[in-house]
Amino acid sequence: MVLEVTAKDPETGKVLYHDTRKYFEIGLDLDGFMRYGAWQIKEIVDLTLQPLKTQHERFFFTFAQKDLEKAEIAVNVYYYISGKKGDLIYQVKKLVEFPEMP
Amino acid sequence: MALLVSIFIFLLFSSFSMAEKLTFPNQLIDDFDTFVATYDAKRCAECHEDVYEEWKESYHSRSMISSIKGIANFFTVGVPKEWEKELNKQEIIKCLDCHLPQIKFATERLAQEIATYMIKAKIGKGKEKEEARAKLKKLNLSCYGCHNIKIAGTAPGITGHIDPNVIYTSGEGESDAHETEHTPILKRAFFCVQCHGVYIAPDGESTYCNTLSGSYVHNYIGQGGRKTCQECHMYAKGRGHRMPGGHDLEIVKEGIDFQAEIRAFRYGVGKWVPAVNVEAFLTNKAGHRIPDG
Repeated sequence: MVLEVTAKDPETGKVLYHDTRKYFEIGLDLDGFMRYGAWQIKEIVDLTLQPLKTQHERFFFTFAQKDLEKAEIAVNVYYYISGKKGDLIYQVKKLVEFPEMP
Repeated sequence: MALLVSIFIFLLFSSFSMAEKLTFPNQLIDDFDTFVATYDAKRCAECHEDVYEEWKESYHSRSMISSIKGIANFFTVGVPKEWEKELNKQEIIKCLDCHLPQIKFATERLAQEIATYMIKAKIGKGKEKEEARAKLKKLNLSCYGCHNIKIAGTAPGITGHIDPNVIYTSGEGESDAHETEHTPILKRAFFCVQCHGVYIAPDGESTYCNTLSGSYVHNYIGQGGRKTCQECHMYAKGRGHRMPGGHDLEIVKEGIDFQAEIRAFRYGVGKWVPAVNVEAFLTNKAGHRIPDG
């Protein structure tokens, strides 16, 4: 599963910021090497969302372009049934305006 | 040979249609078509059509065709190259005990034939690949897998001998079509986790196809969760034998709550650069880790 935050210039569509958090299991063999084969995996590093728990993520970012007046912020949650196919399951979008310069 | 197979299949179904009880052989089967016909879920559909239609939509009905890559990798890389072992029924069963439990009743030769289809479905080309895929579509975790073969999988000391001609059910009703035995384990998470967890093969090898059970027992039950697998994946919203999971976005969304707060401001006294703060909250409401299988 992937939580993705993107900021775009609403006029040009240019991506100004992009970051992700990923939730998954990493399978390891007996020697501590990452593996995909079910028969090889004897241990996991658990980076998943845990049951009955809330995962809180904080994203704080600034823009170099001081005269930027607005930005379109999208927070997307994708569920990957395999490594290739991700489905958007949640999205929060907001057009934000920055306070005018004093 | 083909004539013998036809006679066998005819006798199998004609005996059922004459209102005799549904029966299953207690011996190994060597012929692919006989094997398919014997364990075909359609045999149950005559009386349980609604359940059959639900099951057809489930990944249990596609348990072989939907898992070609992982299983074929085990058959072509894991067993022969890494373990340096012969690919025989003992090794094949390490995948198929869950993906095709009736493999228990396949001869050594038939088990290898089925393994060959799995390999050809992955690495074969053209017609050969298509033919192998067509064969695999006929194989699955059918009614008999859960309602007979896997019944003793978790607690053989309690369940004891499994009679091949008994259909084990969670309900207490009787049937004229087959011998029936009430088996409460079918309502327990314990039953599902024998495959939806770390699988321990008869020779002690473990395979981590998925690890739901550990997460369920230690992180969900341990924190006060009290639902069984069946409550969310079968009983809720009349899901029944469709048993949706990670492939179904409706149940995926049901298991996750999401909130995000977005705020824009100017940062750095005197510099006043545009800045954004996003606070995101993902709550896992499921009875196991997400994602998992």
